[in-house]
Amino acid sequence: MNVLDYLADGFMTALQWHNILFAFFGVLIGTSVGVLPGIGPMSGVALLIPVTASMTSGLPPEAAATSSIILLAGVYYGAMYGGSTTSILLNTPGESSSVVTTLDGYQMAKQGRAGAALSIAAIGSFVAGLFALVALIALAQPLSSVAINFGPADYFSLMLLGLCAVSGLAGKSITKALIMTVFGLLLATIGMDTVSGVARFTFGIPLLYSGLEFLTIAVGLFALGEVFKTILEKDYSSGGIAKIGRVLPSRQDLKDSAAPITRGSILGFFIGILPGAGATLASFFSYIVEKKVSKKPETFGKGNIAGVAAPESANNAASGGAMIPLLTLGIPGSGTTAILMGALIMYNIQPGPLLFEEHPQVAWGLIASMLIGNLLLLVLNMPLVKVFAKVIQTPAKYLIPIIIAISVFGVYAVQAQVFDLILLLGCGIAGFLLARNDFPLAPLVLGLVLGPMIENNMRRALTTSNGDFMIFLQKPMSLAFLIIAVLWIAVPILLKRRGKEVVVNEEG
Amino acid sequence: MMLKRNGLKTIAAALVLAVSLTACSTAGGNGGGDYPKKPFIVTAPSGAGGGWDKTARSLTKVLSETKLIEQTMTVENKPGGGGTVFLGEYVAKDSKDPYKLFVSSPPILINNLKKEGNSPYGYKDVTPLAQITKDFGAIAVAAGSKYNDLQSLIDAIKADPKSVTLAGGSAPGSMDHLISVLPAFKSGIDPKTVKYLSYDGGGEAIAALLGKNADAIGTDISSLGSYLKAGKIKILAVTSSERLGGDFKDVPTMKELGLDAEFNIWRGVFGPKEMTGEQVAFWDKKLKELSENQVWQKELVANDWASEYRNAADFKTFLEQQEKDVQDLLTALGMQK
Repeated sequence: MNVLDYLADGFMTALQWHNILFAFFGVLIGTSVGVLPGIGPMSGVALLIPVTASMTSGLPPEAAATSSIILLAGVYYGAMYGGSTTSILLNTPGESSSVVTTLDGYQMAKQGRAGAALSIAAIGSFVAGLFALVALIALAQPLSSVAINFGPADYFSLMLLGLCAVSGLAGKSITKALIMTVFGLLLATIGMDTVSGVARFTFGIPLLYSGLEFLTIAVGLFALGEVFKTILEKDYSSGGIAKIGRVLPSRQDLKDSAAPITRGSILGFFIGILPGAGATLASFFSYIVEKKVSKKPETFGKGNIAGVAAPESANNAASGGAMIPLLTLGIPGSGTTAILMGALIMYNIQPGPLLFEEHPQVAWGLIASMLIGNLLLLVLNMPLVKVFAKVIQTPAKYLIPIIIAISVFGVYAVQAQVFDLILLLGCGIAGFLLARNDFPLAPLVLGLVLGPMIENNMRRALTTSNGDFMIFLQKPMSLAFLIIAVLWIAVPILLKRRGKEVVVNEEG
Repeated sequence: MMLKRNGLKTIAAALVLAVSLTACSTAGGNGGGDYPKKPFIVTAPSGAGGGWDKTARSLTKVLSETKLIEQTMTVENKPGGGGTVFLGEYVAKDSKDPYKLFVSSPPILINNLKKEGNSPYGYKDVTPLAQITKDFGAIAVAAGSKYNDLQSLIDAIKADPKSVTLAGGSAPGSMDHLISVLPAFKSGIDPKTVKYLSYDGGGEAIAALLGKNADAIGTDISSLGSYLKAGKIKILAVTSSERLGGDFKDVPTMKELGLDAEFNIWRGVFGPKEMTGEQVAFWDKKLKELSENQVWQKELVANDWASEYRNAADFKTFLEQQEKDVQDLLTALGMQK
């Protein structure tokens, strides 16, 4: 049998009525899980494993495994879909991969273009999901071997490139952006260092051993920061209520988003394949790339639709890409895929090199159901856009308590520690003060994400090479990333020196 | 990122309260004395989805399903610091509450002994009730590796420690690291010179091995089965005392290879320090019955766990021995407290 036969078989499996139902419930739960901050895809999937296990207990083992994994995977990419909603409407990222969507999404909502932003996020996610799926079918085998050869040195150089690109997230001042990046990197060092096993900046407090939770900081900075701003600056009394405007994106919106969606899909997919990189990074990278290639970079952060389309496509494509190492190698690329893998193992199905041979029904059934699930998501989400967009019309005096409640509940649901609630409040105040003084928040969050990855991979690479820095130049992929990073910084400076107008980005 | 299900904590607490009122009147005849008469809370000192969490959930599920325990059993998650946060609070607040149990594994020893990320408490501050599962460490290399047996790997490390990179899925001073350096240590090599790369989880460590970014890995053998079957890796040795069966029947133990090295990755159930003899006897009886129960055996197979039961007394003796082994290793690594 060739790939198409297998795929046809997969569709036969996925189109059984109960599996369609499972996919539907999966994406429905996933969407709601994504909308609520805190209950991210990871805890959503983990919580549902026992539920699906009892739901499918009547089926034969292989069929039960297929149905469960269809539902659980539905939750996974459904959450990627839903995560954008609160980012756009309330400036509250539903999960970490939607943090960057707040930058332009929330601005769009303020301008009355919430409908367009939500729709384009849904459309972008759909296109990206389809793209990731086709790529998954066509490229799974060759790409898995590339991904696995991606060593610590390559990771380091890729992350370094990401850090160089931070200027793309800067607001008015590049200096302030750099300060915030370094601040993020510093915060990331708190906790047990995984390379040396040394506890850093924990002051003997066990609470700090596992470091500061990324989502707590992001929700605090963005959501609570905005809340404090609204209250203190009495935003709610002035200007009245934002209008919804049209729900569907205009033809111009679609035209503006086509290229970002394409780029976001491709970039997200490839970053998703790399174990450990994940959807958060994919969304950041795609945003930065969009700003870099844009003809009007100054409109980013002020409600540019590309700033929503690209990261939302990227995080969805990344979740498709992450399936490649999971299914072909049995290597989970992210926390959520690790839990999906656990679910499969529970049914005595070991993801890995033998999965496609031993359990073709499960593997291809899942792939086919992802296609159906993505379609269901689009059908489900487009009408919901209208409902969700109404949120923006809620008067601030009702909206503010709701945002606070969602943030507090979400953070507590993840961490279950009073410490994190205090941290949340602290970050909220910091977010307000920083934003008021034009310190951009996104570079801080990027530093927090990239910090441990840069550091750990650099030290792993150096341990391997016995301290020889040449390893970063000897590995071809690493060298390529470093060259791009150097060009990224050097080209605008050179152009400026020659007195030419800098079209790419206004640095400084 | 940590994950959790404790948003339901309040609801659970309310439930517990409601059930305890009814349980008081019904559970009188169970087990002779007046224990137990209240619902139990079993804590997994981690987020949802990890090994401890799954153990706690399987344990309570089977104990209830088989009616071995008639009281309600609730699982709580308490993540933070690799179990350290939980243990600190537990010892401080709950050491007199025989209705609060928890599950743990070797980190309860390791965290107590190592210098960095130290937990001031260990198994001596609680009551070990039973070991319920076992797993073992293994040293594996990629299928195409030039090392075909453990000895050649050790010889290479001996000749030039810088030339061989070992990897594992957890930080230095934790389980995978100890397993990785164990054969070298027992062969008389200074374990501090052994190059060890820590990755974020066993999956990433295996990826590093397959992608030739590490020469060998040390991790739990149960996660290696499918790679062995697919012919992607060679397992050079396992830390069990006897050969394992099934897919691993051709893997020699370190003992066979002339190394006095054993490491059992157990999972066990613990109670608070101040339990009466009667209460310990109650759990001895119940958990022994559990270990022989068909439903539990099925649950173990479904989770890819191997069964091993030790009662409270044996478990304690075993922990004393393992504590010594861990202490030796950490001291040799210069990472002891």
